[in-house]
Amino acid sequence: MTIDFLSTGIALLTFFGISALMALSLNLEYGVAGIPNFGKALFVSVGAYTAALTYTYLLPLLAGKTPIYPCGANLTDALQLRTGIIREAMGIGLLNFLLTLVIAAVIGGLIGYLASYPALRLKEEWYLALVLLVGSEIVRILVRGYEPIICAHNGISGLSQPFVALGNPKLASFLFALVILALVALVFIFSERLIHSPYGRLLKAMRENERVAQSLGKRITRTRAQIMVIGSAIAAVSGVLFVVNLGFASANDYVVALTLDVWVMVVIGGIGNNRGALLGAFIITVLDRVTAIAAIQLDQIGFQLEFTYIRFILFGLIILLMLRYRPQGLLPEKPLTTEAHSLLKTQAQK
Amino acid sequence: MSLLTLEHVTKSFGNLRAVHDVSLEIPKGKIIGLIGPNGSGKSTLLNVISALNPADSGRILFEGEEISKRSTDEIFGLGLVRSFQDPSLFFKMTVLDNSLLPVKQQQGEKPWRAPFHHLWRKQEAAAALESSRLLEQLLIRKHYDALASDLSGGQMKLLELGRSLMGNPKLLLLDEPTAGVAPKLAYTIFENIAQMRENLGLTFLIVEHRLEILFDFVDSLYVMHMGQVLTEGSPAEISANSAVREIYFGE
Amino acid sequence: MPTVLLIDSLVRSLQVGSLYALMALGLTLTLAVVKLPNFAHAELITLGAYVALVASFWGLNNLLAMLVLCFIVTAAVAVLSYKAVYKPLERRKPSIYTMILASFALGLILRYVLFLLVDRFDFFDKRIKIPLEIWYQSKTMILTNIFFWVVPTSLILIILLSLLLNYTNLGREMRALADNRALARVQGVQVERVYYFTWILAGGLAGVAGALWGIYTSINPLTGWLAILSVFAATVLGGMTSFVGTILGAYVVGLSENFVMQLLNHYLGLDFSFKPAIPFIIIILVLLFRPQGLTGFMDGFRTRAIRRQTNP
Repeated sequence: MTIDFLSTGIALLTFFGISALMALSLNLEYGVAGIPNFGKALFVSVGAYTAALTYTYLLPLLAGKTPIYPCGANLTDALQLRTGIIREAMGIGLLNFLLTLVIAAVIGGLIGYLASYPALRLKEEWYLALVLLVGSEIVRILVRGYEPIICAHNGISGLSQPFVALGNPKLASFLFALVILALVALVFIFSERLIHSPYGRLLKAMRENERVAQSLGKRITRTRAQIMVIGSAIAAVSGVLFVVNLGFASANDYVVALTLDVWVMVVIGGIGNNRGALLGAFIITVLDRVTAIAAIQLDQIGFQLEFTYIRFILFGLIILLMLRYRPQGLLPEKPLTTEAHSLLKTQAQK
Repeated sequence: MSLLTLEHVTKSFGNLRAVHDVSLEIPKGKIIGLIGPNGSGKSTLLNVISALNPADSGRILFEGEEISKRSTDEIFGLGLVRSFQDPSLFFKMTVLDNSLLPVKQQQGEKPWRAPFHHLWRKQEAAAALESSRLLEQLLIRKHYDALASDLSGGQMKLLELGRSLMGNPKLLLLDEPTAGVAPKLAYTIFENIAQMRENLGLTFLIVEHRLEILFDFVDSLYVMHMGQVLTEGSPAEISANSAVREIYFGE
Repeated sequence: MPTVLLIDSLVRSLQVGSLYALMALGLTLTLAVVKLPNFAHAELITLGAYVALVASFWGLNNLLAMLVLCFIVTAAVAVLSYKAVYKPLERRKPSIYTMILASFALGLILRYVLFLLVDRFDFFDKRIKIPLEIWYQSKTMILTNIFFWVVPTSLILIILLSLLLNYTNLGREMRALADNRALARVQGVQVERVYYFTWILAGGLAGVAGALWGIYTSINPLTGWLAILSVFAATVLGGMTSFVGTILGAYVVGLSENFVMQLLNHYLGLDFSFKPAIPFIIIILVLLFRPQGLTGFMDGFRTRAIRRQTNP
């Protein structure tokens, strides 16, 4: 078997970009602000479900056609309607894609805002981790059992990438990868600027000691809600990209395992360091691809070992080893710097 | 005129009455001591005033305005700032960041402005200069870039004092500002407090176990015992008071 | 609703509730004494089930011997996981999220090692080989030997555990540690020793519960993982640290998942695919609106009873 290096490279970049967005959002929430979001899969899935809805209803409307209920007897018709528009009218497909990103970010932010509410009422800090974990599972079970969003457990397909109308699959997926990387760059710069500002100072203070921050006039509730809104909006955007890249939305993709993957990225890379989040996302993506390719290759020579199992064992080991021997991650967190720091530095040098 | 007034303030935890029917007055521009044996309710009283543990009953007035229903962050905003008994700095942050955090109305503290430097850089620079002056006065200017956890115990207390000042307070509630500090430095801390009262017209309510230093600096004292105010008076009156001597020295 | 369904769901509630109680007691123990929300508890349950399964395939058909074997193996794994994973981490005084993450990671490793082995030896969805006998039969109800194994064994173990907690030095030390760690240390409780016993008990109980689960129904490497959040729901209902509350909570969860689900299905047409959401909803509602779980009701009872005694 020959490996198509170009396609593999593009796929790698795509997966890296999507993972990086998830990792950046968790890094902002947990790494910087100390909110243990063990429900990341939920906020990613918000993007996926939004895309399912916009591709079913918004896309035909933009193209001047009547939307069709996507499940059951209409399944094929609805699928043909979606894919037809995306194949033939690239402008409309692209517009729908961009609108989906915006809508998903808004809905994600809204749900993030709601999810920040339990923290107010919880007796102990870590209960929030449990509530978010369990909340994410509840939503998954509900969506899996409720037809109108993604046809329940059947899922919904034909959520194609926006550039397929070009007719050249490689070019299309390359352009899509570029869009993703541009978004990663945008989010990265945004979070870097957020960290190195008085707001970043506030977040880190909240992470370290909420009570003291509060007694210094900081409105912890509001700050926590803000950061959940930002983080969840980013996660929802990553969910749209995830599902559009896959072309298929299924509730079974947004399980606890996805949440754990994102945590592994942040823990490996360095909690509180955006570059670390990128590095972590890169390492995990490469590891995933390598194990996947190795599994196919080994399978062909008759080697019988289920690689998904090995992957999870490996992930578990990585987490344990990192927590034990390098809890700060590969790229440890750096102190934040603003005008104030450079000012005092120049003052001191005089 | 009194800056802070407490009227019949009570706070219980379950069956434990930590603060019981406490009334007191803190006049503007004074340094008032709050003393009493361990567990007499001093720290709880500070928590009640700063709304970390809101009062069960009674009224708290700050500049004549009722504040007992206000939240901790609002009370800070009114100019009532407290420090804690255990060093409560942000240890993983630098000295400078610790001092800048309490600055009020920071434009860069809003997430929609924070990513754009030009919207907050001037304000940040002004705050930095103020912090620099203050840290200089407190003798920790040269450590501005060190993590707060790397300071000595005394320096931590100084930084905490400085941090409180950056919030532009009117009244400071200090919970054992010299706990765990060498005697000489403890004296320095109190000299700083006295100076701030002179120069900035600040008012202080200070919980302190080191009576020998405290008595040199305060205008008057309240003595608490078992959650209640036992007595109040000038340092001379308090040290002559037999009831106080009894609870303190078992005489 | 047909009586058969009604009684059947009640019988299932009782069985599942008893098993949840065994599983949740171990979880509550680690949470109360060691202060660790141990998500890897799930895999101790699965491991116990598989130890029993393999033993039964090798011809061990004395159930008591089987349960003892499971207890020993899972207790050993629990102690080992404390020694090799949690204890070294705790030296760094980590945040609780580090510990939660570590327990997830450990669970992940155990689960997929089990997957590898189960795949290799084709042990998916097998049931422990215990001959099925019908012990009681009427028009509305069938009770098999399995029912009479699962429920009484669980109850006996629960009683043994409560005797241990209430009437032995070790139990008192455990409760002292659970209540106030600093105070317990001052009182001379040997923390490390109590920790080890806690892990032995928690791990062993999880293993026994897993074995009984494997007698009750077929198992696969996800068995424990799929049950763990129901088990957490029981612990949450117990206010996280109360043992009596946990037992009650386990039966509440068992009832909600079976009896209440049956009712909802019959009268409101709720699909059974929503069943897994029930314990999750319990967790969220309790944590948000009644963090003390069921314990508050009992305390309320007690104080009211005392008040009645003192003010006639």
